[in-house]
Amino acid sequence: MSKEDFIIETQQLEKKYITDTVETTALAGVDLRIAKGEFVAVMGPSGCGKSTLLNILGLLDSPSGGSFRFLGQDISHASERQRAKIRKHNLGFVFQSFNLIDELTVEENIGLPLAYLGIPRAETEKRVKEAMERMGIAHRHAHFPQQLSGGQQQRVAIARATVSNPSLILADEPTGNLDSVHGREVMSLLSELNDAGTTVVMVTHSPSDAEYAHRIVNLFDGQIVTESLNARKHAAELL
Amino acid sequence: MLRNYFKTGFRNLVRQKVYSVINIAGLAAGIAACILIFLYVKDELSYDRHHAKADKIYRVTRDFVSNDGSVSLHLGHVAPPFGPLLEQDFPQIESIARLLQTSLLVENVEKQKTFREERIMFAEPAIFDIFDIPIIDGSRERALKEPFTLLLSNKLADKYFPGEEPVGQLLKLTSTSSARVTGVFQSLPDNSHFHPDILVAFNTLNDTAVYGAEQLRTNWGNNSFGTYMVINSEQEAENMQAQLPAFMDRHLGGTDHAGDRKPSDFSRLYLQKLTDIHLRSHLDSEMEANGDINTVMILAAVALVILLIACINYINLSTARYMSRAKEVGVRKVVGAEKHDLVFQFLSESILIALIATLLAVGITELCLPWLNEFTGKNIGSNIFTDRWLLGLTLLLPLLVGGLAGLYPAFYLSRFLPAMVLKGSLSNSSKNPLLRKTLVVVQFSISIILIIATGIMFRQLVYMQNKDLGFEAENVVILPTYTTLTPQFEAFKSELKKSALVEGVGRSLLIPSDRLLNSMGASVMKGDSMAQTSVTIKFVNVDHDLLDVFEVQLAAGRNFDRTRATDDTAAYILNNAAARMIGWQNPQEAIDQVFAYGGRKGRIIGVTEDFHFESLHDEISPMVYMLSPSNNYTNIAIRINGDTRQALAHIEQTWRQFLPGYPFEYSFLDQLYAETYKAERDKGVIFLIFSCIAILIACLGLFGLASYTTVQRTKEIGIRKVFGASVMRIVTLLSKDFLKLVLVANLLAWPIAWYAMRTWLNDFAYRIEMGTGIFLLAALLAFIISVVTISYQAVRAASANPVKSLRTE
Repeated sequence: MSKEDFIIETQQLEKKYITDTVETTALAGVDLRIAKGEFVAVMGPSGCGKSTLLNILGLLDSPSGGSFRFLGQDISHASERQRAKIRKHNLGFVFQSFNLIDELTVEENIGLPLAYLGIPRAETEKRVKEAMERMGIAHRHAHFPQQLSGGQQQRVAIARATVSNPSLILADEPTGNLDSVHGREVMSLLSELNDAGTTVVMVTHSPSDAEYAHRIVNLFDGQIVTESLNARKHAAELL
Repeated sequence: MLRNYFKTGFRNLVRQKVYSVINIAGLAAGIAACILIFLYVKDELSYDRHHAKADKIYRVTRDFVSNDGSVSLHLGHVAPPFGPLLEQDFPQIESIARLLQTSLLVENVEKQKTFREERIMFAEPAIFDIFDIPIIDGSRERALKEPFTLLLSNKLADKYFPGEEPVGQLLKLTSTSSARVTGVFQSLPDNSHFHPDILVAFNTLNDTAVYGAEQLRTNWGNNSFGTYMVINSEQEAENMQAQLPAFMDRHLGGTDHAGDRKPSDFSRLYLQKLTDIHLRSHLDSEMEANGDINTVMILAAVALVILLIACINYINLSTARYMSRAKEVGVRKVVGAEKHDLVFQFLSESILIALIATLLAVGITELCLPWLNEFTGKNIGSNIFTDRWLLGLTLLLPLLVGGLAGLYPAFYLSRFLPAMVLKGSLSNSSKNPLLRKTLVVVQFSISIILIIATGIMFRQLVYMQNKDLGFEAENVVILPTYTTLTPQFEAFKSELKKSALVEGVGRSLLIPSDRLLNSMGASVMKGDSMAQTSVTIKFVNVDHDLLDVFEVQLAAGRNFDRTRATDDTAAYILNNAAARMIGWQNPQEAIDQVFAYGGRKGRIIGVTEDFHFESLHDEISPMVYMLSPSNNYTNIAIRINGDTRQALAHIEQTWRQFLPGYPFEYSFLDQLYAETYKAERDKGVIFLIFSCIAILIACLGLFGLASYTTVQRTKEIGIRKVFGASVMRIVTLLSKDFLKLVLVANLLAWPIAWYAMRTWLNDFAYRIEMGTGIFLLAALLAFIISVVTISYQAVRAASANPVKSLRTE
């Protein structure tokens, strides 16, 4: 694969948290390449650095060392402003706790990324409507997050994450707050998005969720200890 | 996008109802108080500025210097000869006019309407060249030119000639003379230092029955003539001022004065700017009660302070409120918001809320204006859309206050990395507690200063109202007297005394609570000859009974005696202060001493105990009481007992019998005396009201901070509860920190309040000791108020289920 085929490339990625007296190493030299269109699951025990890695990959946090290329561009030392720009145009996020804005309705929440991109209102309305239909929540468009079930909230979050057609979706334990039925629903949605060409990186504790990924990266004490291809997924795709 | 911001902002407001109401109401109250004070201050500063030549108009004032070099009297009016002489000597005077204000009975004979008019002004025609007094009926050219002609104000025209053409009609001005109405003028606006109701041609005074041309030319002692002029430049006015001592020496050379002093050594003239009269002139004679620049400045400062407290409070509460929106900030960042988007969002939201508060404040102002007007006796209107200052203020305030309040959360919140905010790690980072604590300390210091100031003001007021004046001011009815009554006064008196309700009747030139302005030269026997004393002794004409009516105690000697004919012209009663300052060791020593006053020689027959003739602002002046053989009295004092209403009815009946057609107007001596403290009382009430507003707003701020801190310490409270802390202990824990702030605020406030109030009290000749009580009381009040405010939040946080608070982490 050529360099252009990778959406993410990290080398010796490090993250240290320094407080007055204590230095905590969250990531200790992570080398990771993620190809466009790939579905990668990051697994590992609590405190192994999964979320830190996801935050850095999602440009929500900056690394303390190592290099980080996003779409071929080195952004290890990018300013918050540059990172915000890249985030806005390329990334979508799905969180365990949904992170919807309580004061905005379903459609307003979903339309938020488009508003920050400066998309005209008519176009926004059209795309929000499509996203809601895709997620099966169109009938709930005027509701506020508190009025929805967990599964519905997560579908709104996914709709919001995808409405701007990002090239990468980062999901942080997307099924962590859901029961198994709703969890499966959400995983299928992510899987469908991936099938349509969107790269997905997902942090999870759940082996069954990880089954939806092409590749599983196991993290321990801030380092990648094992990487395995998901034979079943590959086989399914080949069939 | 803006819509989206406002939606979030508005829904947040609705969701956090209590906060929002407190936040908006606090700011609105602060801004409303500020606008009200602004309107008041603006009105005070606008006095006399409506005249086109306002900046070029000057008034001549005159002071008198005692032998010891101190100014004994400074008058806003001068003697009548000065006007023409100034005009003759100083070419820089563009126009000059003399005004003599007096009160007379005015009668529309035909309609049998008689009123006593207090603001009649004899005025020279040049008054129209100096002041802008529009003539709305009659000829401007002929106005005030002919003797015995007058102009009525439009208000009075309706009073005397309702529905009739007033021009050409006759009004009887005294018992003998009448004057013809030649025109109607527009009453001067409220913000004017004088308000004539009737302007009478000045040359009417040439008539000897009224005053006399000779008197006008030669009477240097009657300093009752307001003398106003237009001078074209400040430079010319300064030049003229420099030449005034020489002017005095030139023209007063022929009049008697003591020893080798020049006239300009004992009396000086000054030019006072018209625009300084209302606020910067506290002379011993003024046309009407003036304002005081210090009060205006203090009020302006109070307005700024209240605005400051309101802003601090708004910032504190907003910050507390925005902290709960950390997650929203995180989410917005994640979905693509850049820092400037967030800054803009919070700023615009904050400004919008401040705008709502400002609009509310404008409404409150409109509601409170009638109250302010009634209280201050003003007639202030507040048309926001025509008053560019007010409009500017109302537009600027939300920008400024909202901007300031929004700035901090905008930059504070938008600075955080989204990963951190989403994790909720914000609530642990208590950045900038110092700033917030400082704000609370400042707020509370100001409130405590205001509490102390209000407390001391009221104590001084109560002290003044209850101080023993040295005479019995209660149950004394004061009536004016007219020359018509003089020949029949004894009959009038015996008629009054027929009722057991009337104890005594006396007459005097002045009554207690009046200013003592009149004095003449006094001499006492030193060795073999009379020597002039340097003590300035004020005189009051009284009749034989007056001192008894006031129940003034004699320290030595006797009262005036009808059976001794010499008492009429050769007997003096001094007050103790006069006797002491002249040099007698005790009152008894003064008795029978030869004493000359105003050139009239006699003996001292009595010395009274000192009593407060003037208000407690002034020290007790040396005084002399004497009989007036020419019946130069202006007041009748009647001591009554028993039922006041019956007594008044008897007095009125007697009045009508002796003075038919004369309006019956009475006042009570104690009320007149209380009137002299009206300014202090009003100031006290204003301070009380604005202190309450300030304290209220400061409490809102404290409430905000308390809730903010409890939110921040939710986890700590949870852990403490899990390990067994009681609600009481947690409330104590949370309150302790705030009470420390209140303590610091007290320590800061005390010296400032002490200094300010000492300065204020120094204005009173008789004043209270400040003591520590009020300081401790203010501290206690501040503590109680804060404990109550904080407890609500603390108890709520402490009683919450710890599992809940821990889970939020």
